[in-house]
Amino acid sequence: MRSTFHGIETAKRSLFTQQAALNTTGHNIANANTAGYSRQVVNMQAARPIEAIGLMRSGAPGQLGTGVEFSSITRIREKFLDDQFRNENKSLGNWTIQSDTLEKLEKIVNEPSETGLRTVLDNFWKAWSSLSEDPEDLTGRRIVRESAIALADAFNMTSKQLKDLSADLTENIQIKTEQINSILSTVASLNSEIVRLEGLGDNANDLRDQRDLLTDELSKIININVQETPQGYTITMGGVNLVAGGAATPITVDTLTNAFGSGDLNNGEVYGMIVSRDRYVADYIRQLDTLANSIANGEITITIPEGSVLPDNITVNRVNPDGSTTPVTLTGAARTIGPGGLTVKVNGLNGLHKLGYPLVSPIQAGVDFFKSKSGGPITAEDFQLNPDIVNNPSLIATSLRTIVSGGSEEVVKGNNTLALLIAQLKDTKFQFGTSAGSLTEGTIDDYFRSTVGQLGVQSKEALRMLDNQKALVDQVDSRRQSVSGVSLDEEMANMIKFQHAYAAAARVMTTFDQLLDKVINGMGVVGR
Amino acid sequence: MTLRVTQSMMQTQLLRNLNANVRRMSERENILSTGRKINKPSDDPVGITYALRYRGELSMNEQYQKNIDAAKSSVEHTDTILGQINDVILRAKELATRGLNGTNPQSALNAISSEIGKLYEQLVTFGNEQLNGKYIFNGQLTDKPPYTIDGAPGESTDTEKRSFQFAAGVTIPINVTGNEVFGSGTESDNLFRVLKELENAFSSGNQAAASNWMDQLNGRLEKFLQVRAEVGARANRIELMENRLSALNLNLESLSSKTEDADIAETIIKLKTDENVYQASLSAGAKMIQPTLVDYLR
Repeated sequence: MRSTFHGIETAKRSLFTQQAALNTTGHNIANANTAGYSRQVVNMQAARPIEAIGLMRSGAPGQLGTGVEFSSITRIREKFLDDQFRNENKSLGNWTIQSDTLEKLEKIVNEPSETGLRTVLDNFWKAWSSLSEDPEDLTGRRIVRESAIALADAFNMTSKQLKDLSADLTENIQIKTEQINSILSTVASLNSEIVRLEGLGDNANDLRDQRDLLTDELSKIININVQETPQGYTITMGGVNLVAGGAATPITVDTLTNAFGSGDLNNGEVYGMIVSRDRYVADYIRQLDTLANSIANGEITITIPEGSVLPDNITVNRVNPDGSTTPVTLTGAARTIGPGGLTVKVNGLNGLHKLGYPLVSPIQAGVDFFKSKSGGPITAEDFQLNPDIVNNPSLIATSLRTIVSGGSEEVVKGNNTLALLIAQLKDTKFQFGTSAGSLTEGTIDDYFRSTVGQLGVQSKEALRMLDNQKALVDQVDSRRQSVSGVSLDEEMANMIKFQHAYAAAARVMTTFDQLLDKVINGMGVVGR
Repeated sequence: MTLRVTQSMMQTQLLRNLNANVRRMSERENILSTGRKINKPSDDPVGITYALRYRGELSMNEQYQKNIDAAKSSVEHTDTILGQINDVILRAKELATRGLNGTNPQSALNAISSEIGKLYEQLVTFGNEQLNGKYIFNGQLTDKPPYTIDGAPGESTDTEKRSFQFAAGVTIPINVTGNEVFGSGTESDNLFRVLKELENAFSSGNQAAASNWMDQLNGRLEKFLQVRAEVGARANRIELMENRLSALNLNLESLSSKTEDADIAETIIKLKTDENVYQASLSAGAKMIQPTLVDYLR
């Protein structure tokens, strides 16, 4: 048996449903620019018709519709695209950091320029060449001193900048760790909230959007694997559990460092930071140290010209024709180098400088030219000109010759052999030792050039990877936007659709109103 | 599958393209304003290693040029002094020839003797000639005068050369020693000794001795002229080095410029193209972003 008011009920359901759809359209429009928002739709379906199968079934023919109802409000989203996005996003994070660090390294190296380390080095060799013109003068020595101090400053400063960069990266890892923990705890609490809400049968669309947005953010910082379980998202980084249901496992910098070592952490910003710090920056610090140490102590082969007089009782490593060396101690007449000169191996500028004589009386052999501030092995950080030379430039040796005059030995001040030999160190091959990387022998300039070239290649590669990765992420994101984004045109069209449906339902309601008015007020009043 | 296009997609895309355009323009602008196409190592990792090499060599050549200038002034100075010594020798020869023609009274010989004595003193002064406070004829012992007025005939100088560096691995001695110019203290034709002996011979009227020393003087003049020729040759060699250096410099500069410098015309044209694209993307963006269905619903 049909109710008299059946039509009113149908119209009412229609009004409610169309209104819900209009509300959702409004919600979509309002969130058109909200990050991570996915558009929502009201899923409408025809309501269950009356006259179900049963004994109470009336004899009336046909099933009468009972209007519309909405079963759910769902968000439009493709999980596959989310997975893809997170997968690409981690590499984007990684290359962003690497490229950024390498760009900073390029700024620190500051080449090509007229103010970089290369210029300072050139000036240093030039000062020696200039000193060889007037080996008797103090002026030339002062210029050498100043250029050596400038060289030491350049090494110290570059080393400090590199170490600062390394410290910055460490600090950033700490900051990222805090960010990760904050995301993890929020995701965990969203997990439990979503489970609670959906337990009641609703779709927690907006909370899910928030959770996905946070997961996206996390995917840029570290490599993550996301699985949806009845308890919500389970997030892992390699073998490390981060979130399981409502429980987040906070991580520390140590966790990340260990995960990096074990391979669990293999992508994302934090990975990029650790790689930048432990590979790039550490490598350039090491190369700079090698450079500084080689100038002072790197093994070189030098031919001391005929007529030179080496300091008394000095032991030099004479180079034999077969390339091996024999230590020989020179005393008496042997100190004077005979025809053909003497080829020896010495340790860098320091070793060479010790073969000569500074302009001091009584005669003495040269001192170490460069020293380390700490007394340990020379690194770029504590590279300095011997403080004795700073205080007394006369200690800079240019002469390789002495004469005996009036019974006492004295320096030949006009001899510039040592100054010439040192000026030519610019074109002399140094041994850089085993820790120097690919280049173990070459001039100081060779080494510096190869460092700069290597940096250029790495930086260019990182930039190329970054551009690629950006394009990939953009592409996936735009696929995602295509599916989930709010299109205002579409919403407007929907709005009109729902508005008309609402208006029509209202018209139906009015029609029934008039109908019933006829029944109630117009019937049975004959003769009144 | 048809792509559903949303406003935010279009905005993101527009923004990305605008960004790319601006970035390209900013790179070109940087190239134009620095005039260089290599502004950081990653701009051209291979090019920069060459650029650094050229820069290093150019900068070192500057120093070599300075060395050459100093060497030239030193050699020129030596040549001037040698010219003056030459005059002294010729005058001594002239005087000796006059004294030896056998018709001079003793008083005339005395006058000749006395002038030769003056020439001797003049020569010792030349032997102790200094340039920039350095004794030029005393080898590497530039801080010590090589000759004394009384002992010059028996004195030798230091024999070591003072060399300057004119290129990587190229050093050229720039001095001549007193021994080469005047003869060492043990040589019989030591110029000082010859003059001293001539002075003595003429004052004592000993024609035979004078004639003997006259021969020695001629011998010395031969050797002296060789030394002068050598100094001239050295000056030529230095000049040659200088020419080579400037040719090398030109070469390096053009290489360096090829490696580092931007092609301005090309860059400007590219910048103009980029500007056009940028303008187009801006106006397309403005037309595209603005309207939605909202604008047409009443």
